[in-house]
Amino acid sequence: MVNSKDDMKNSPLTDLDQIIHAPARLRILMMLYVVESLDYVFLKNQTNMSWGNLATHLNKLEDAGYITVKKGYQGKKPQSKIQLTPQGRNAFRDYKNTLQQILDDLPD
Amino acid sequence: MDSQTNLKKLERNLFRETIRDGSLDMQIGFILLIFVIAPLLSSSLGDFWSSAIFLPIWIAFFMGLRAFKKAYIQPRIGQIEFSPHRKKRLKNINLAILVFNLVALGLGLLAFFNFQEFKGWLPLSILFLIGFSLAGYLVESPRLYLYGVLTALAPLAGEYLYQYQGFSHHGIPFTFGILAGGYFLTGLILMINVFRRYPLPSNEDLEW
Repeated sequence: MVNSKDDMKNSPLTDLDQIIHAPARLRILMMLYVVESLDYVFLKNQTNMSWGNLATHLNKLEDAGYITVKKGYQGKKPQSKIQLTPQGRNAFRDYKNTLQQILDDLPD
Repeated sequence: MDSQTNLKKLERNLFRETIRDGSLDMQIGFILLIFVIAPLLSSSLGDFWSSAIFLPIWIAFFMGLRAFKKAYIQPRIGQIEFSPHRKKRLKNINLAILVFNLVALGLGLLAFFNFQEFKGWLPLSILFLIGFSLAGYLVESPRLYLYGVLTALAPLAGEYLYQYQGFSHHGIPFTFGILAGGYFLTGLILMINVFRRYPLPSNEDLEW
């Protein structure tokens, strides 16, 4: 008998990058993938996350080296410009291809 | 729909989000004001100056609107930098708008002072239709197609009002006045909507 841990090990889903696989982070990366850069306010408006939640996800992506955050000021207001790194772009592309492959392999 | 198409759709939606602040509609409304005021001023200022006087007014308005957007709209909706492909497209739009304005102005003045019948307005109407449709296609805003149809009809409707209802100046100030006011008001409503949808974030929110 195979236990659920082994099931998970053999699951093709384990091939997916778990940093990207979280829905909130996937949404952030999808947006960053199609543009040059976004700022924190634009990202917050588009994702409808709370400020704290968004910051947590961005910190995780930054720690993984997938995004860079340039902090500065626009007038007197703090402004953070967020950009996908080449490493992040490759990781997202790999994630996309892997997920596509998993879905294609599913029987109809 | 494959993943590539979805990503393109996402990029398009992000772009559309940036032109939903109403400033484009306000600019179009303001540009069309020349057709409202220039004919009325032509008897006192002459044909050239009644139109030329608009150049500094346009510049002042566009600069004012730009400054307003930077101070009050951008901090609410945030900033986005598009891919080089999109940036090139935006550059083409600006160039197309400039050429369109100049040709429309020339054709409008030519029609206003030289023609006394419907067919004289057709080149201008067709230009409006093509210009707005092209802009609608380039900025991917279906609203501009409707603007194209309405603006193309304005000189013809004006001529009708002039010939059959006795309106002055070929009815142009009246029909374009309604359009300019309508576009400006649409822009204003969209802009107010931005203020309602996106509250100004506090410095505390922005520091993380």
